[in-house]
Amino acid sequence: MPEKPIKGEKRYFMTGNEVVAYAALAAGADIMYGYPITPQNEIMHYWTRMAPKYGKNFLQTEDELSAGFTTVGGVLAGRKSFTATAGPGNTLMQEPVSMAEAMRLPIVVVVQQRGGPSTATVIYSQQEVTMTTIGGNGEGFRIVYSTSSHQELFDYTIKAFNTAWKYRFPTFILGDGYQAKMRESLTMYDPEERGISLVPAEPYVGKPGTPGTDRPPEQYRNTYNVEEEIYEVVQNLARDFNAIASEVAEYESLAADRSEVVVVAHGVVSRAVKEAVNELREAGISVGYFRPVTLRPLAEKELREAADKARVLLLVESAHGQMARLIKEAAYGCKAEMIPFFKPGMGITAEEVAARVKSILG
Amino acid sequence: MSVQLAMPKSWRIDTKPHKFCPGCGHGLVLKALGQAIDELGIQDRAVYGCDIGCSLLSWDFFNVDSIQTHHGRTTPVITGLKRANPDLVGIAYMGDGGGYAIGSQHLVNAAARNENITVILVNNTQYGMTGGQMAPTTMPGQKTETSPYGRDPQKTGYPTQGPEMVAAITREGAYVARGTVANPKQLKGFIKKALENQIAGNGFSFVEVLSTCPTNWRTNAEETWKFVEKEMTKYFKVGEIKVPEPRHEEGK
Amino acid sequence: MEAYVGEYASGKSEVAVNRALMLSREGRTVTLVDLDIVEPCYTLRPIKKELTAAGIQVLAWETRDTVGLGETGNVIRAENRWALKRAGDIILDVGYGVGGSRTLNLLEGASDDPDLKVVAVINTSRPMTGSVPDILDYIGQLGRVDMLLNNTHLGEETTAEIVQEGARCVAEAAGKLGIPVLATTAVEDVAGVIGPEDCMGNPVWPIHRYMPKTLW
Repeated sequence: MPEKPIKGEKRYFMTGNEVVAYAALAAGADIMYGYPITPQNEIMHYWTRMAPKYGKNFLQTEDELSAGFTTVGGVLAGRKSFTATAGPGNTLMQEPVSMAEAMRLPIVVVVQQRGGPSTATVIYSQQEVTMTTIGGNGEGFRIVYSTSSHQELFDYTIKAFNTAWKYRFPTFILGDGYQAKMRESLTMYDPEERGISLVPAEPYVGKPGTPGTDRPPEQYRNTYNVEEEIYEVVQNLARDFNAIASEVAEYESLAADRSEVVVVAHGVVSRAVKEAVNELREAGISVGYFRPVTLRPLAEKELREAADKARVLLLVESAHGQMARLIKEAAYGCKAEMIPFFKPGMGITAEEVAARVKSILG
Repeated sequence: MSVQLAMPKSWRIDTKPHKFCPGCGHGLVLKALGQAIDELGIQDRAVYGCDIGCSLLSWDFFNVDSIQTHHGRTTPVITGLKRANPDLVGIAYMGDGGGYAIGSQHLVNAAARNENITVILVNNTQYGMTGGQMAPTTMPGQKTETSPYGRDPQKTGYPTQGPEMVAAITREGAYVARGTVANPKQLKGFIKKALENQIAGNGFSFVEVLSTCPTNWRTNAEETWKFVEKEMTKYFKVGEIKVPEPRHEEGK
Repeated sequence: MEAYVGEYASGKSEVAVNRALMLSREGRTVTLVDLDIVEPCYTLRPIKKELTAAGIQVLAWETRDTVGLGETGNVIRAENRWALKRAGDIILDVGYGVGGSRTLNLLEGASDDPDLKVVAVINTSRPMTGSVPDILDYIGQLGRVDMLLNNTHLGEETTAEIVQEGARCVAEAAGKLGIPVLATTAVEDVAGVIGPEDCMGNPVWPIHRYMPKTLW
């Protein structure tokens, strides 16, 4: 049985879902649990095609509740476990994610956003930002990477397993239907050959020795009796999450500290934004961009810096203000005026972004 | 003369006395389970998962690695665990609401896939921890907080026949039984067989246990035992419902 | 009659569309059939009008008919079932899936039509078909395949060298399978660099990119 799916480095032409499956293999994932929903299906298709060749496992569950909770079980057993979902499936996924959040379980969840609310479209949106960053009955103690290209899907899927197991918070790759189905080239590589060491998984239960004789039993709960008890638990989670926030938070920016207008966008929309900003800057227009790579936690300090120096933050997303809520909260009290450009469920082109920037600058 | 406490070795002494109400059946079920774990010598590789509802009070009951999950979700957590590490012995412990209502899709599908896990479901005919509401297992005519005039089967259906359902949808190799806290010795035997069946790799093993809830039933000791022994057994038949066939030797 | 089959994102639709237009320009009657039963709301639907205007009969879903198709998943348009009974050239764009070329069983007359050629489209930059053993393994799972077509490319990074390397690899696989290579395809400018034949002596079909208009 070949040990590694990818040896050396090579350029490939692929779809995004396929990239995720290969990246999970490269990251050393042991088992995927999943339930069919468009547009993430090919992650399961490719995983199930390749898994037996590399001694990996797959379980198709009865729904996303089960996909999430079996993933939790896989992690408790000490195996790198992941699932993938979208839309209404992501809604169901929030329950198991809240358990992972409460118990610091490093599950990895890939979300390929589709149109909402409800069944809506299977094609594309950025409307699962609120749910993915702060969904569930909790406080959003999770890490969310919003990717924008196949190369990033590969890089960040590998990174997500490392982040999850290093910090023990549930970790999401937030893609979308366009990224899932789109075809483009990327370099696939074996992370260890590039000097990226893979954080090992460890069992939570079923450790060596007899509990009570050789060691205390490992016992985990997420239920508490009184207000003071849960207060302490949540305070500890918040402290730990805040402590890693600046280490985990990632962003990209161009002239965000010295432009009149700074365009803020995440995920695939940031590609159009970069293109527009580069063209406008070539024409001498005072514009920059700020792209959060992690939507949770946000790179708050850098964002606030931009929001204090710019006259306008133009918030661009394929949703009705879901990223904007995160940005406004983080940049509360900053000087810049926040102007929305929301196209829920629609793709956004560089031309549209450029036109909006020009109209703002008069 | 010292008294020998009949406490299974796998029980965690520092969390005793346990928190279940006086007269509650959970202690008896967990004793039977503890004895079965002791006799099989699996304390080091058993993983115990408990649900929400009164069952969660057992989250630190055993000297066994344990996970308290969400309401109805113990079956998928233990399924995921067992799939990821088949060397463990996965035990999912839940009540009738968790198994037959909110988590019924998980029970049905885990059974249909013949997941190699053991599910122990405690049937006390109502939701104990949320305050005595009607459950899928509430008896016809039984008064609960959400059936104050007695359960009317015309309006709310008949009690779920869980083991019969599981027996109907599982493959050969599955083990299905209904025990009762009124017969602890038999119950221990059922639970032990269920665990042995998992260890042998035969597949899904399911034991429903008729149990008591004097607190919500508002019954004294005599009425409690009368209800579990006389009333519940009118509807829920105790015994083994599906037993794996002896393996045929090759060539026969 | 040519049926284009192959790995997900191997370029089946692009090749099929270009082949249909190529034959149409030669003055032939051409019907292009969208047999992507997995993703019916993607693929040819968005360029149906443009192709129809170019004189090709296109059997594919209309946007107004696609409500719920992404959800239903596998679905075949009733008219497409009878496509092989039409006059003229028939080009079939077959979607991916573990069913492989067995999707053709859904067409009336596919099993005994002597004119039908099943062409597997191969891009050696796709990880599942990246080497000769991978291609042989993949074709083995596909079911009936009569010819291979080299559609090796790396999107906008495509060079003549990449296409030629693919041509060598595909020709070697075809030799081992004992079937011919129909052609090598390449976008117009790269095809211009390569010339009328690839390094293995197979014809080069220049293709124009239509599928980006459909999102891909």
